[in-house]
Amino acid sequence: MRAVKVLLLTLGLCAGWTLATALHAPEQRYSADGLYNLANAYARAGKHGLAVLNYERAALLAPGDADIDSNLAQVRAAAHLPPDPHGRFARIVLALPPSISAWAGVMGIALIGIGVLGARTLSRSRWLPASSILLGTALVVLTVCQAMVLWPQMHAAVVLVNETQARVSPAPMGDTAFVLAEGETVTLSAQREDFALIRARDGRSGWVARANLGAVIP
Amino acid sequence: MRIRLWQWSRAVIGAGALLVPITHAKALANPALAYETVEPARIKLGETATIRVTSLDGYLDDIQLPKVAGLTFEIVGRAQGLEFINGQASPAWYILIRVTPQALGLFSIPGLTAKSPALGLEVVAENTPSSFSWQVQKSAPPAPAPHSSASIPKGARLKADAAAFVQLSIPTRPVYVGENVPMDIEVGVRPGVVTSMNGLPALNSSDFTLTLSKQPLRRDQNIDGNPFLVMTWHSALTVVKPGNFSLSVETPLSVRVDTRSADDQAFGSILGWPFSQIPSKGVPPKNITVASSPSELKVLSLPAAGRPRDFGGAVGEFQASSEVSSTRVAAGDPLTLKLHISGIGNFDRVESSMFDHLDHWKTYPPKSSVTRTDPGGTRGEKVFEQPLIAVSSGEQSIPPLEFSYFNPTTRRYERVRTQPIQVMVSTSLADSSLRAPSEGRAPEQGSARQLARGLRPDHSAAAGSVRDLRPLYFRLPFLGIPATLTLVLAGLAVRSRRARPTVKTAERALAQMSAAAHSGNSSLFLETARAAVLQALAHRWRLPPEQIGSTELRARLGKTGAEIDRLFALADEARYAAGESQDTDYSYWLALVRGELVRGAS
Repeated sequence: MRAVKVLLLTLGLCAGWTLATALHAPEQRYSADGLYNLANAYARAGKHGLAVLNYERAALLAPGDADIDSNLAQVRAAAHLPPDPHGRFARIVLALPPSISAWAGVMGIALIGIGVLGARTLSRSRWLPASSILLGTALVVLTVCQAMVLWPQMHAAVVLVNETQARVSPAPMGDTAFVLAEGETVTLSAQREDFALIRARDGRSGWVARANLGAVIP
Repeated sequence: MRIRLWQWSRAVIGAGALLVPITHAKALANPALAYETVEPARIKLGETATIRVTSLDGYLDDIQLPKVAGLTFEIVGRAQGLEFINGQASPAWYILIRVTPQALGLFSIPGLTAKSPALGLEVVAENTPSSFSWQVQKSAPPAPAPHSSASIPKGARLKADAAAFVQLSIPTRPVYVGENVPMDIEVGVRPGVVTSMNGLPALNSSDFTLTLSKQPLRRDQNIDGNPFLVMTWHSALTVVKPGNFSLSVETPLSVRVDTRSADDQAFGSILGWPFSQIPSKGVPPKNITVASSPSELKVLSLPAAGRPRDFGGAVGEFQASSEVSSTRVAAGDPLTLKLHISGIGNFDRVESSMFDHLDHWKTYPPKSSVTRTDPGGTRGEKVFEQPLIAVSSGEQSIPPLEFSYFNPTTRRYERVRTQPIQVMVSTSLADSSLRAPSEGRAPEQGSARQLARGLRPDHSAAAGSVRDLRPLYFRLPFLGIPATLTLVLAGLAVRSRRARPTVKTAERALAQMSAAAHSGNSSLFLETARAAVLQALAHRWRLPPEQIGSTELRARLGKTGAEIDRLFALADEARYAAGESQDTDYSYWLALVRGELVRGAS
């Protein structure tokens, strides 16, 4: 009884925090369809960088959407960027939308707990707690794998300006290390004033003006 | 043999003794000597020529500068040196006059001293090829006075010995502290006699900093039949404190010193070359220092009156201009502002403080570079490259940059100012990433149209939207839910694990009671039942087993407590009636005890 009280209290606190965060968040709202349509508009306007950025954002909300994947591949091809197909593993773990997957993980934890406790009390029918533990574990693993697949996207950014120069130092007069094409996706490693240290897909690192990048997670 | 040689020597010496008065008398017949030369005789507009007035018979008083339309004259220095005549050094005094043309043409400069002829100077346009050469009709300078050993100061012969001279040319006007003063150092050495130069010319005072040109200008000059190598350093002199100074330049040399007696030298000079040189060939080199004649220099402090607040110590004449790398940028994109400061002066004191007032622009430390355009290093250009990032969008203005300096010519502080520059700053692409692109911004319409045909169609607008793109499991508030759930479940599991030994003890006690009932051992049955129930109740009520009595049982458990109390009484009776069999309802007591034990375990 006491445990239930603690659980309810904690859930209430978390809900309150979430509500407070939402109230202080900017009024900008995102939907997968809205981002997808916006990306289409940019693609039609020839803005490959902004199109890729919004397709990537839409894919975060609807990972398995075939339209998003198809149009993103077309824009990449038009921008002469190498394709970035998801592997089979990624496709499987991204079959469930992240919002549902998160709650499925919570449910998985609950099922595991119920199974463990039931195995001690229900000594006669052991298959029921075992099934609960198995199902709960599967849900938790699915959620964790999806989080691992999506974790790089939390630090991803898209190059918005063609021939963006990656410099060896975070200064406008720094020497150019290499040049990035518009629409290329990079990983943000660090930030310093108006520059961001990025790592390209081929492993090269350099400092890029932040104004030339669009973070997938704004 | 020795007697014959002696007779021949006496004859030669006697003939020489007759010739010496003759040559001396010829020299005495010449009037006082002064002459002038102009070099170069053909210059381009923008260049300068130098008139050198040489006096061989004493210090030159101030001379009247000529007045020629299209030419300006300025005395840039006085010097004292040696003129080499017949292999002998004679003291000479010089006045150097800088001639600056203002127009093209062929000019005739009247003689500056008595009986000196006019000089010719041709000024041509800058793009005139240099293949054509106009030779100025210079009349040969009057023959210099013959050498008189009596007029040479003591020690001068050892230094010079017709071997080397050093000459310093500095302006005669007062200069200011910090000013870069152009200065010419001329060192002439006689190859063969001077074996090596052991260092660069250096000033004899530490109150100045001297910047020599990297390589001197070299020319071969024939001075009275003897070949000389003349090296000229166009240098810059910086004065660090005010006062009156006497400047001299010293140059370390290695020379072969002529150790012959005066008679032998006179005899050798009568015979002329090569006899005048032979005796010194075998002498080892000796290190000497040749110094120029001291020149007076007056250094003034910079005036305090009218000194601008932003004055940084620049002295000279400067011009300023600025430019930007692009007049159209996106907000956040860097652009480079270049500031050019050109002119004459001490560029090391031209600092970047003028960039301190660039409001509305984010600045980074500027880079600067200096390009010298003359060998002396006084004329040149300093370029500052200032990276700028616009803080706000729209039409922005880079304000005029101001720079103040002291002009030694006008003797007052002056200020140069660049023109303001307008820059159009557009909104950053990143900021507009969530806005629909405008109709007019489609630079790649062709390929975009082709791409648009292959795109899948838009989705119908859905109602669901989120405020945060991050999945729930990457948000801290949400992570509290699975964390709390995990903690609660783990607590329950731990509690269950702690209860497990109680259940096992109860099962063991029930098994012992069942075995005692089978064997009909009522004493063992009742004793085991009492011990198990006491332990279970003590664990449940967190009391020591000895404190659980009849009152406690009846108060806490009611009717069940009374039955348990009766079980305890039966157990006591069985203990005191050791070995006697009692009529015990095993199944009833077994059910009662099991019920209590299971209740306690749960």
